[in-house]
Amino acid sequence: MFRNQYDTDVTTWSPAGRLFQVEYAMEAVKQGAAAVGLRSTSHVVLATVNKAASDLSSHQRKVFKIDDHIGVAIAGLTADGRVLSRYLRNECINHSFVYESPLPVSRLVVRLADKAQVCTQRSWKRPFGVGLLVAGLDETGAHLYYNCPSGNYFEYQAFAIGSRSQAAKTFMERRFEAFNGYSRDELIKDALFAIKETLQGEKLTSSICTVAVVGIGEPFHMLDQKTIQEVIDSIDIKEDDASAAAADQAPMQEEDKSSEAAAADQASMQEEDKSSEAAPMDI
Amino acid sequence: MERLAIHHANGMEMVAVKDSAISENGTERTLYPYVTGTSVIGMKYKDGVILAADMGGSYGSTLRYKSVERIKHIGKHSLLGASGEISDFQEILRYLDELILYDNMWDDGNSLGPKEVHNYLTRVMYNRRNKFNPLWNSLVLGGVKNGQKYLGMVGMIGTHFEDNHVATGFGNHLARPILRAEWREDLSFEEAVKLLEKCLLVLLYRDRSAINKFQIAKITDEGVTISQPYALKTYWGFSAFQNPSKGAEGSW
Repeated sequence: MFRNQYDTDVTTWSPAGRLFQVEYAMEAVKQGAAAVGLRSTSHVVLATVNKAASDLSSHQRKVFKIDDHIGVAIAGLTADGRVLSRYLRNECINHSFVYESPLPVSRLVVRLADKAQVCTQRSWKRPFGVGLLVAGLDETGAHLYYNCPSGNYFEYQAFAIGSRSQAAKTFMERRFEAFNGYSRDELIKDALFAIKETLQGEKLTSSICTVAVVGIGEPFHMLDQKTIQEVIDSIDIKEDDASAAAADQAPMQEEDKSSEAAAADQASMQEEDKSSEAAPMDI
Repeated sequence: MERLAIHHANGMEMVAVKDSAISENGTERTLYPYVTGTSVIGMKYKDGVILAADMGGSYGSTLRYKSVERIKHIGKHSLLGASGEISDFQEILRYLDELILYDNMWDDGNSLGPKEVHNYLTRVMYNRRNKFNPLWNSLVLGGVKNGQKYLGMVGMIGTHFEDNHVATGFGNHLARPILRAEWREDLSFEEAVKLLEKCLLVLLYRDRSAINKFQIAKITDEGVTISQPYALKTYWGFSAFQNPSKGAEGSW
C-alpha cells in the first residue's frame, strides 16, 4: 500500500472501488500486539501478548470484561478499544436491565459493527483503529467473533489478530477441527501455544501475556499469573520431551499485505461460521 | 394537582382536587378505567403453564361486552392475561407485537422468552406509573422456554413477582386460597383444569363482574393452545334460594 490521491478522506472512493482510510485503519490493527481466540462448544478462550511501553511502565490492558458472559480482546489503538469496550458494556447492561437476561452475543456484535460502519461513511469521522475479538456465551452456544474497523464481522472457531498473528493462525489451522471437542484446559493450552508462536523465539512467561476464559457455568474472567505460568511450564516440558514437536514452530511470515484481499472486506456484512479457509484473514 | 377550597352551603368546607389532566396544553392521562376485565388465574403444572379468564368486559356495573379475549399469546414462548382496562391491554399488545417483531427480524436463533417479556412489561408499567399515567392493568405472564416454566405478574404500579400460581383482582382473594391448599408441582393437565375450574366457579358465584363464559389457555414446550369459550355448570337449587321472600312479608 502506498500513498495516493484517494486516501485523504474516508468518504473518498478510489477508482478501484476501495476506501483507503478504512484499509489503513486495518493496518493499525495489524501493527498492534497479538491477540488470539479459540472456542469449543462450551468454552471460549482469549489470550493476548502484553507489550509494555518500557521496563518502567505497566503493561497495556488488552482484555476487557464486557459482562458476565462476554469479554473482548483488542489489537490496535488501545484507546479506541477502551472506548468501544465502554460502549459494549453499556449495551449489555441496558439489555440486562430491561430484559433481566444476558444480551445474545450475535446481537452485541452487530451493534458494534454498525457503530464501526458509521465511521466509514462520515467525512468528519475516522474509522476505529482497533480490531476486537469478542468471546461470549449465550443460549445458542459459545461464540467467537472478530469485529474489524471496516464494520465487518465474522464468526470464527479460532482466530488471531495483530503483529505476527499469521504464525498463530498457521498453528491453529492445523488443529481447529478438534477444538469443538476440547476440554477447557486443552483450549487454554492451545491458546498459549498460539501466543507462543507469535513471539518468534522470545520467551513466553505469564508476565507478558493475559489469558481469559468464559464458559458454561463459568463467567468471563482473567486467569491469574500463577495458573498461566503452570500451563506454560507444562507446555515447555512437553516440548523438551518431544523434540519432533519442533516441527510445530512455523517459520516467521511477513503479514500478507496484499491489498486485493482487503477488497473483500468492503462488501456488505457477512455472518459466517468460519474456519480459517475464509482467509482473507489478512483483514 | 391543585386543591380548591369550596365552601358548602351549611358551612362545611369541602376540598375538591382540580386535575391538571387536561391542561391548557391538552395533555391527558389515565384517571379511571372504563371497560374492565375481571380476574385472571394462572398456575404452573407438570408440562407447562395454564391460564384462565372469563370473557367479560364490564362498563362500570354493566356487563357490556361478553366476547373479550383477555388471554393472548406473545411470540412462541409466552401467554399474557390481563385484567383491568381493556383498551390499555390492547395498547400493551401493540407494544409487545412490535417487540416480538423486532426480535424475529434478527432471525438469529435467539428469541425473547417469558422472563424477558415479563421484565420488559415491568419496565413499561413502572415507567408509566412514574409519569402518573398508568396502564390500568394487572398482567399475568406465563410461558415455557427450553423446558423452563415461568409464571409472573405485573401490576399497574410496576409491582412484579414470580410464583407457582397467581391471580389478579378478585382472584387474589377467592382463588389463591384454593390454590395454596391444593396446588402441586406435578399436576397433570386434566387435574390442573379441574383445579382452575374450581376457582373459576367460586369467582363466578361471588364476583359480580364475572360472566359464565371462559377461556383456558395452556402453554408447553410444544406451543400455545387457547380453548374455545365454554361455560361452567352452576347450581342455584339451594333451599335457601326457594321462596326468597319467605322470611320477609311485604315489599320490604
